[in-house]
Amino acid sequence: MRLGMVIDLKRCIGCYGCQLSCKAENGTPPGVFFARVLKQVSGKYPTVQNTFLPVLCNHCDDPPCVEVCPTGAAFVWEEDGIVDVDHDKCVGCRTCMLACPYSQRFFNDETRPYFGEGGATPFETARASHHQTGVILKCNLCRDRVRDGGKPACVENCPTVARIFGDFDDPNSEVSHLIKERGGFPLRPEKGTKPRVYYLPA
Amino acid sequence: MTHLDHRYDQLIDDLKSEYRPQREWAEGRGFFLIVGHFLVGLAAGAWLFGLGFEDSFALLSGWLLAGLGGLAHLVNIARPERALRMMTRFRTSWVSRGFWGLVFFMIGATVYLVTLLAPAAIGGTDTIIAQAAMALSIAGAVILIGYMGFVYTASKGIPFWDSNLHPVLYMSYAARGGAAMVLLGLAFGAGTGIDAEILLELWLTATALAAILWILEIQGAYASRDDAAIRSVRDILSGRLAFAFYAGMLLIGLLLPAVLIAGIVAPLSSAVMGTVALASVAGDFFMKYASIKAGRYLPLRIP
Repeated sequence: MRLGMVIDLKRCIGCYGCQLSCKAENGTPPGVFFARVLKQVSGKYPTVQNTFLPVLCNHCDDPPCVEVCPTGAAFVWEEDGIVDVDHDKCVGCRTCMLACPYSQRFFNDETRPYFGEGGATPFETARASHHQTGVILKCNLCRDRVRDGGKPACVENCPTVARIFGDFDDPNSEVSHLIKERGGFPLRPEKGTKPRVYYLPA
Repeated sequence: MTHLDHRYDQLIDDLKSEYRPQREWAEGRGFFLIVGHFLVGLAAGAWLFGLGFEDSFALLSGWLLAGLGGLAHLVNIARPERALRMMTRFRTSWVSRGFWGLVFFMIGATVYLVTLLAPAAIGGTDTIIAQAAMALSIAGAVILIGYMGFVYTASKGIPFWDSNLHPVLYMSYAARGGAAMVLLGLAFGAGTGIDAEILLELWLTATALAAILWILEIQGAYASRDDAAIRSVRDILSGRLAFAFYAGMLLIGLLLPAVLIAGIVAPLSSAVMGTVALASVAGDFFMKYASIKAGRYLPLRIP
């Protein structure tokens, strides 16, 4: 099984719901965004188009972040192909950040609550207590939710159902059908990382 | 505003910009990575040249610089207490190979220096122990030089570094630094019997090679038509790193030594050789500073 995601750019309305739900689910500190939405303006007046490009870890089949990691902290789960980080092994060298062509790795340098001097809120304390400092944080497709039979938080909370989650190894899965029928494409295929996040044209 | 607030605001600004500058290996504790790469490159070059010219000053300084470079690498990582884990992934990771290179080098160089400077302790440099230590130190030095270049080439997120020329560029800079360290020893009266002219020729050859490789790197960035790589080159030639490039790399690292070697200012003397060596070393630091800090992340766009 190789889990991945298809994002329909035609459906994405740039509401940032994925970004917010990801933050709520993972309790990521300020400056850490496992899911982000990039805005892209194309064309010229009067035919200007605003396109939204949601990005996240591409869970590559050939992940350069895993290859360059000197400690084995960056690894791939054999059973589902999810690229993850073992925080107990990470030395915080940040090599993986520079190796990722998608800029989807974040360095959690110091503890910083959202509301500064007020300290961490009970929510932050509950959600972020497992985050180590001095290590890399990244999206793991909400692996705990997925193992319990659910979907990643960004998929569950997308109001326009622009995100479809599934198994890339299964030719009959919805993601495989969508990529085939609607001409799905990955970002930066020239980097040879074989990403497992595909986009459907707007 | 606390420093954390400032860094957060900076990160958000970076994330909003199309060509996000890499700060991971350039600012904060990341600055020590630049220092570390500068020091171990110089150390490995000094050691190899020191062995070639049988120059104790270069050997000692190489050993010392490698130790300091190793410490700088430790400061760069956020969890130094876990540093030994970095030995585990040498099959795929150049950082891990660099760690091994430093270990080989420090062990081999330490033992060899003991045999050289205190032959009464475990025998002289002709013993098997000394020869094995020398072989180990050479292997370590070669790995260290290679690691620096390849660790950048493996950074697929930074198009300016993702160049096959980078390892050769770093090798040429290690050779230039090695020649400079032997020159520096000559200036201080060490290395009697070393022909300064041969040394200067070697320095000039390494410098010419480094200059050609720099031109090829810049041409390669433009030829790749990769916006981020071109933006990095612009940072160096006419942007935020122009001062380091023109004043540090070109003026101090290239022009000043060239003028001194040509004998335009003064005839070649110990003082001139020392100045050439120090200028060359300073230029190498600015080269590494500029090329590392110039890195910008690959932008994400819909094709």
